[in-house]
Amino acid sequence: MSDTDNLSIQAERRAIRREALIAVRPALIATFTWGLVTGVAMVKSGLTESAAVAMTLLVYAGSAQLTSLPLIASGAPLWLIFAAGLIVNLRFLIFSAALQPYFQSLPWYKRLAYGYFTTDMAFVLFMPRFGEAKVRGTDAQRTFFLTMIVPGWLTWQSSSLLGIALGTLVPTQWSLDFAAVLALMAITIPLANSRPMLVSMLAAGTTAWIAQGLPLQLGLLAAVVVGIVAGIWAESALKKQR
Amino acid sequence: METLLSLDWYLYGAILLLGLCTLLARASYHLFGHRVPLGDGVRRALRYAPAAALTAIIVPILLPWSEPASMTLVVDQRLFAALVAIWLFQKTRNVLVMIAGGMVAFWVLRWFIGWW
Repeated sequence: MSDTDNLSIQAERRAIRREALIAVRPALIATFTWGLVTGVAMVKSGLTESAAVAMTLLVYAGSAQLTSLPLIASGAPLWLIFAAGLIVNLRFLIFSAALQPYFQSLPWYKRLAYGYFTTDMAFVLFMPRFGEAKVRGTDAQRTFFLTMIVPGWLTWQSSSLLGIALGTLVPTQWSLDFAAVLALMAITIPLANSRPMLVSMLAAGTTAWIAQGLPLQLGLLAAVVVGIVAGIWAESALKKQR
Repeated sequence: METLLSLDWYLYGAILLLGLCTLLARASYHLFGHRVPLGDGVRRALRYAPAAALTAIIVPILLPWSEPASMTLVVDQRLFAALVAIWLFQKTRNVLVMIAGGMVAFWVLRWFIGWW
């Protein structure tokens, strides 16, 4: 490779990094807000400061963290917390399936790292640009992806840590654990974006309410099964109507 | 249940398992490729599961029974504050407005119920 080739590759990389940073910037404000809210929610739901720090650094998944908080506070069994975390994270399985072609030429530990640091934001900003690309897995595409996920991680972690610090200053009488429930609602409400989805959520909610007396929070699993069945049923029923 | 929360192994066990959840969901296909097929039926089912789980966690918090198996409703400030928050969210589409407004409603209603 000649020096001029090398220079042009570096210039291209710089241009891609700049493009990625411009693309990611507005999303970082949302990331910051969520990180802050999640940080406060963790300490106000009964986690110790060190546990909250461990959770944000290790789990790095806001919706799964917020979901687990009421379960942990009520002493739900570990397998159920694990199952709920997996279910809430299922969307990432679909993201991973779609993103996998862009990283398949890399060694396993790099694929693992790219996967682990994939957020909703990275997926949503990446796919419209490169989803239809003729060649998948170019150096340029991965540079773009990396330039998005690094500031995303830094923003999330710093705002979460700030939230944990702020949360410890706020007295318990303010009942900020309810803010965690509100944050969970803010994740959930936009999901009701179609009639089958609404049917599914109503069915799941009703089941969860009726079954809340079941031991080990088994009502949660029952509600998920009922929700899936109701959603698929509503989808085909609405199709037939048309 | 304070007794379980005060146990380190429970808390850190939960955190480790949730970290594993993140890794499994986000990196499975990156690591193992498409050796596990993701059919249309599975994809459809997967679409409904997260919303169902989130709803199922929220509803019993807002509408708890007074005692397990009694099926008597407890209606307090949480339900009404949540309704205010939903209304605010539909109006503004702003998460911070929703959370702040919901908390203010929660405090005002709690004070009012206590005073009543």
